[in-house]
Amino acid sequence: MTRPRPTPLPAAFLQSRAMLRPRPLMPEHVRLLLQALIDARSCAELTEARWELLLRAARAARLLGTVATRVEAAVPFAALPVFVQRHLAAGRVEARFRRQKTLHLLATIEPHLRATGARTILLKGAACIVEGLPAAAGRLPADVDVMVPRRVLDGLEQSLREEGWEFEKNDPYDQRYYRAWSHELPPLQCAGQALELDLHHAILPPLGRLRADTEALFASAVAIPGTPYHALCPADQVLHAAAHLFQDSDCTGRLRDLVDIDALLRHFAATNADFWPTLTERARHHRLLRPLWYALAAARAWLHTPLPSEIVAWLAREAPPRPMRALFGALATRTLPPLDPDGAPALRDVIAGKLLEARAAWLRMPPPLLAYHVANKWWRSLGSTRAAAAGD
Amino acid sequence: MLIAEVAPAQLRGELAACGVAIDCGAARVRVHSDVPELADLLRVVYRGYERSDAAGACDVAVRLRRARGLRRWVRAQVELLIDGSREMEPFPADTPLPLLEWGMNYALATRLNCHLLLHAGVVERNGRAVVLPAMPGAGKSTLTAALALGGFRLLSDEFGVVRFGDAHLLPLLRPVALKNESIDAIARLSPDAVIGPRFPKTHKGTVAHLAPAVEHVHARHTPAAPALIVFPRFVAAGGVEIQPLPRARAFARLAVNSFNYEIVGPDGFDALGRLVAASDCYELRYGDLTRAVQHIGRLLDAAAARG
Repeated sequence: MTRPRPTPLPAAFLQSRAMLRPRPLMPEHVRLLLQALIDARSCAELTEARWELLLRAARAARLLGTVATRVEAAVPFAALPVFVQRHLAAGRVEARFRRQKTLHLLATIEPHLRATGARTILLKGAACIVEGLPAAAGRLPADVDVMVPRRVLDGLEQSLREEGWEFEKNDPYDQRYYRAWSHELPPLQCAGQALELDLHHAILPPLGRLRADTEALFASAVAIPGTPYHALCPADQVLHAAAHLFQDSDCTGRLRDLVDIDALLRHFAATNADFWPTLTERARHHRLLRPLWYALAAARAWLHTPLPSEIVAWLAREAPPRPMRALFGALATRTLPPLDPDGAPALRDVIAGKLLEARAAWLRMPPPLLAYHVANKWWRSLGSTRAAAAGD
Repeated sequence: MLIAEVAPAQLRGELAACGVAIDCGAARVRVHSDVPELADLLRVVYRGYERSDAAGACDVAVRLRRARGLRRWVRAQVELLIDGSREMEPFPADTPLPLLEWGMNYALATRLNCHLLLHAGVVERNGRAVVLPAMPGAGKSTLTAALALGGFRLLSDEFGVVRFGDAHLLPLLRPVALKNESIDAIARLSPDAVIGPRFPKTHKGTVAHLAPAVEHVHARHTPAAPALIVFPRFVAAGGVEIQPLPRARAFARLAVNSFNYEIVGPDGFDALGRLVAASDCYELRYGDLTRAVQHIGRLLDAAAARG
């Protein structure tokens, strides 16, 4: 297939005065994916060649389930080309599987959580699924994130390990890294479980530059009716996602994180009258105003998330300095979208991803610790290269 | 025009530029490549396939390319990108076709979750399917190839693609990967067998690919109704020994050996139940390919007479 030349974005993108807007000339696969996420009805008009590119981009972005759910709700399924039906059906099936596996994992560990006697907060995908939020529709979680108070963490870890849960990363450095400097234990795995379990005691690294008020997170958490679990309050759920938006160590193809934020914002804004004032208030309290600013600006520019006028005014008022904004916008544009499914990544996109990773590491740890961590990783990667060469 | 009829230079050009679409029935794959010898390989093992319009939609796109950097020149390698990402380790540069075929298997096994995917060979006669599930060392590919050369239509040597709802088997037709001794066994069996070049020293030993017959390629959009499930086991000294298998056992073994039984959940449970209910189930120990093929023919006739 000959690749179409990149086409200009729809006028709406260019007219939106939002900061952090996507490049005006954006690769076709990204344009198609955004358009499908913003307005799935537009998919009714797509040619088969466009569909192919869209479906492959959606799969690369781990958004096939989301796209499938939205398209099926917006377009008569039977009218779609047969090969499109195949992939949408596959996306739906995969999302059903991962939802089922999330619930299965929670059912398995529930007695252990109950035995701690402490409040258990579900985070991210697990929370959306158990709460039944629209953000859960079509989601493809790879792990289940659970937060408990730090004081019960050791006991919980012990009882899970007696039950057969094991750490995937078991070398002493990784163990020490997670335990001393991270807000979660290394991922736990168990035979018979398709997903990993991440046990958190906070939502951000304890020594990082961004820190949320963990006690306030627990205190304001809301019970999920009919379950023994809590979820973060709506504002905190959004702030958690925002704090991680450009912070995770793998900073490529993270569009799905933004899709989450968009879905949470739309849902909470529609169901909680005082959601927006609470959101900025909580952001101030947790000192997460800057991550919130980037998240809202990016969600509005990329996914047309509707924001009330006072929030738009707040965005304008609280905007970071122009060079920061420009740099961040450029990096986000290169790293949010999935890789081109027809080619290898361009060098400049790889570099942008590395820069964002470096920034994320910078935010996670104080400089001496970061230097130590980087040196250690480098030394160990050298070791594994040598071992591979020796075994070759 | 068939792929075998396209001039090598032209096919090379198409592989490098817009890619070549291969319609396998249940899925279409687009292949891009800058590996010069691939065109000649495809002209042999995909000889009966239409050079279908490359602009048509494909389910997966793979790009087989010469490795970048040092590995382009020193102990050269080829690598495979599936939808733009490198999901498999590179192979030595002299084994491009095995990498392409394994990569396509991997890509299809992880993407076609709209069907139940059994790890099995499938052939058909008079619209009735024979499913030959793969167990380690079972000789599934060898027996599937022998059946395909012995009056049965080949649907797949790797994937039993079971449609949700009616449990009919969909062709996912690709060259049959023959390993080690079975290459000669199949070459001896039929003078019609078109087998591609041998690739020694792959991680599964020597591999060569049997090209599907043109008539089978033509019928790659025609499904087959379930009728017979045979669990083969190759026993070097034996003749042919057959034993009925309880349906519940057959169900459990097929489920365990499926690529995606767990993922497809209730749809897969339902489809597998229908498949097994509509099929006679046997275990077959064989040492003689020709007699095994005749025996399976008789079992299929018996299943047809019953149903």
